[in-house]
Order: sequence, then structure tokens, then C-alpha cells
Amino acid sequence: MITVEGITKIYSTSSVALRDVSLHINAGEFVSIIGQSGSGKTTFTKLLIAEEKPTKGKIKIGDWDITGIKTNEIPFLRRQIGMIFQDYKLLPQKTVYENVSFALEVAGEKSHRIHQVIPQLLDIVGLSDRHNRYPRQLSGGEQQRVAIARSLAHRPKIIVADEPTGNLDTINAEEIIQILKKINEFGTTIVLLTHNREVVNALRRRVITLHGGHLVLDQEAGKYIL
Amino acid sequence: MMVYISRILKFSFQDIGRNFGLSFMTVLILILMLLSIDALWSVRVITREAINAVKEQVNVSIYFSASASDKNVAEINKYITAFPEVVDVKLQSAEDVLSSFKQRHGQSKDILNALGELDKNPFGPTMIIKTREPGDYKKIIKALSVPEYENLIEAKSFDEHESAIEKIQNITNRAEKGVAGLVILFAGISFLIVFNTIRSAISTQKIEIGIKRLVGASNWFIRGPYLVESFIFSIISLIVASALLYLSLRFVDPYLAVVFPNNFSLTNYYNSHILYVFGIQFISVLILTVLSSGLAMRRQLRV
Repeated sequence: MITVEGITKIYSTSSVALRDVSLHINAGEFVSIIGQSGSGKTTFTKLLIAEEKPTKGKIKIGDWDITGIKTNEIPFLRRQIGMIFQDYKLLPQKTVYENVSFALEVAGEKSHRIHQVIPQLLDIVGLSDRHNRYPRQLSGGEQQRVAIARSLAHRPKIIVADEPTGNLDTINAEEIIQILKKINEFGTTIVLLTHNREVVNALRRRVITLHGGHLVLDQEAGKYIL
Repeated sequence: MMVYISRILKFSFQDIGRNFGLSFMTVLILILMLLSIDALWSVRVITREAINAVKEQVNVSIYFSASASDKNVAEINKYITAFPEVVDVKLQSAEDVLSSFKQRHGQSKDILNALGELDKNPFGPTMIIKTREPGDYKKIIKALSVPEYENLIEAKSFDEHESAIEKIQNITNRAEKGVAGLVILFAGISFLIVFNTIRSAISTQKIEIGIKRLVGASNWFIRGPYLVESFIFSIISLIVASALLYLSLRFVDPYLAVVFPNNFSLTNYYNSHILYVFGIQFISVLILTVLSSGLAMRRQLRV
């Protein structure tokens, strides 16, 4: 599904984010990428959604080599990768329903299709009864669930979750992980970037460890080791 | 495609609503710029009309001495008519000149008595010459200022008309320069305001733009609403400026009717040139707004 070959990302001579990283993530896998701040996790995410281009190396999503992706192709790539962030990135002046439908609107999805899909997505994340609420009226966990629903809008093959539990308490964090596991069970590849030890250890799935821009450990059913 | 267009329209109207104050200022400045263009345009039209009106009245009158014979007059008439610059030559016989003089001074008994004292008509014939351009009169007068005609021609009149035309031209040239300066000033201000409106809109919506990108919106879908905003600003400002123009013409036209005898009216002028005048204005404002917003987007919407 995701193939990374010898990726290096250099911002300046004193700032090298990733150094010769190679890995392969299979379709339907649930992979945690762990590492301290500055280990290269966020850069890795940016490379996956073509927000940055690698200085060296090659990235493939399925059979699609996105290393030198053209600007006009980027939106199509981003519709195949759902993104979830620590700060949720919701629009405060839009309701839960509108925040999720926004993702489909900007992609030119027809209105009747949007009205059909959104209730299903809100049902998956357990927010059907809150579709008229604004983000400020929701708890952190609920806001993150809205972000998850939005990331699913395009039925992506991959979901990249960048510190999705970073702002949440243990119970809410657990709920989010359970939703991600449920999504994974439907066959969606999940790439979880985190430094939450409990979450990683409880998952018992593949763990890739980054340190100083290097891939230092790749364990099947691994644990949080740093 | 229709879905894309309707969503772009929806987002642009939302954006105008959110930045209403700034949008209002932008439209206001564009209206001022358009009104100054209208003023410049009107000044040019009035000037042209005024000059034409003066030209219509301008002619050279050649006053022959009483001793000039019909043969002399006919010869000069033939000579003058041969000039390509001459459009029309009218000849008044000595008798016609005398009778129109009597008519003009019918109330003044002294003048009529003095005329009666004379045993013959003191006037010679008069030739009224009309040329294509006022400048051509100099050539005609020069052609007649030759020794052969010295004793036949008593007087030639033109100089006053020439200075009237020069004065009108000078005044209108200055007025045009002043209004053109205003147009440039308002165009500059409009450019900066539209640029800043779009830049500020983009800057306040950075998060929204980021999320649009994140969820796979194309660049044109992100830029579209800002371009539509430029279009909407152009349309609204043109409609309001045109309404204000027509309103002001209702006050100006009665004054013009007094000055110009031939029923000249600016309203009629604008009505008959409506597509041309407002088409040019719309295209100019659109270019201005699209350029400034395009520049703002280039600076702010870099991936």
C-alpha cells in the first residue's frame, strides 16, 4: 500500500528531518509510528500527503509514485488519504454535519449523495445525535470523532492519524483508538503517529520507531521502546 | 461542473458576508473610480460638442469695398471655392448687406437718417466662407492678403473665433488632465484596496483554506471564490456607479440644454453608447480587480 524507499528530507544543512528511511506498509495494516519530538514523524506525514517533497528517495501509494507528483494531482491524492490531527482542525462556524459535508462539497460531490453519506459517517463515530452542534459545544473526544468522520468522507484507503489522542484524556483516547480499530477492520490502512506509550502497547500491532530522522526499529506486534 | 460552480458561488457569498465592511469599502472605492471615469468621459463629450458648436458658428467674413464690382467678387469667389479646405461660400450682395443693416438698426433713427444722407449704398458685398477646420481660415486669409485684392477687400474677420476655440481647448485640456489624475488615483487606491480585501480574506480563512486542501479541494476550487468576489465587486460597483451617473445627468442635462442649442443631452449620448461606455468600464474594473486579487492569491495561497 505505502512504499517508502530511501527517503531523505533536508530543510537546511542544520535541519535534516528524515535520513534514508525505507519501509513498506501493507494494505489493511494498522501501523504505529513512534518517536520523540523532532524524530521526523510530522515530516513523514507531510511527505505522504505531498505537502512536502522528499529531497531524495521515492514514495509510492499503491502503484502511484507520488515522489514528483504534479500540483494538480495533489487533491486526488489527498482524497485517498484521510487525515486526523491532534488539534482536530474543525471549522468553528460550521456544525458537525457541515464540517463533515464540507469535505465532500469541496470535492464536488452531489448534494443528494452528501445527504446520504453524512448520516452513515456520523453513525460510525457515534455522533448521529449531535449533528447540529458546533465544535465548541463538543468535548475534545467528540471533536476528534468529527474529524475522523470527515477523514472517512472520501472512503479513503489510508488514514493517517497524527497524534489523534494528544489532547485527550485516557477514556476519550481509548474511544478514538477503538474507532480507528473498527475502521481498520473494514480494510482501511491506519498509520498512527503517536508518542502515547499506553496506546501503542495496548494495540499490539506493528510499531515503527523513528529517532533523529532515522528508522531505528520496525517490530511486528511491537511495543513502545525509546 | 454545475455543482462546482454553485459551491464556488456559495463560498464567495459567504466570504463577502463575513468581510462585509471590507467588501463595502472595496465597492465604494470602485464606484468612486468609475464615477471619476464617467466625469472624464462626460467632460470629453461636452468639450467635443462645445467645439463643434463653436466651429459651426465660425466662419470668415470678407467685407468687400463698395467699389468692388460683381466681376471682381465672382473672380474671388471662384478662387476661394477652389481651395479643398473650403466647405461652403455664401455671398451677400451689397443690397442684401444694406437691407440687413437697416433691419438690425431699425430702431435707431440717427443711423437710418445718416444712411439717407448718402446718395449711394456705402456697403460692398460680403462673402462668408466656411472651412473644414478653424485652422484652415489662416490659409484662406493669407490667400486673400495679396496686393491684387488689397483695394477690393475692406476687412476680414476671424481672430475672435480662433481665440474662443483656443480658450475652450485650453480649459478642457486642463479639466481632462485633472480628471485623468483622479482616475489614476482612484484606480491605484482601488487596486490596493481589492488587493488587501482579498489578502485579508485569505488570511482570516487560513485554517479553512488549509482544511480545504487537506480534504482534497483543487486549487481552482480554493481560488474560485476569490475570483468570483472580484467579479461581484465589479458588477455591483458598475451598477451603482451607472445609477448615480444617470441620476446626476437628470440635473446636468437642463443646463446643457441651455448652453447647446441643438438639443444636446448627455443622457441621450450615454443611452446611444451604453454598451460601448459601460462595456469598457466593466472590463477595466474587472481587469483591475482580477489582477489585484490574483496577485493577493499568488502571495497568500502558495502550497
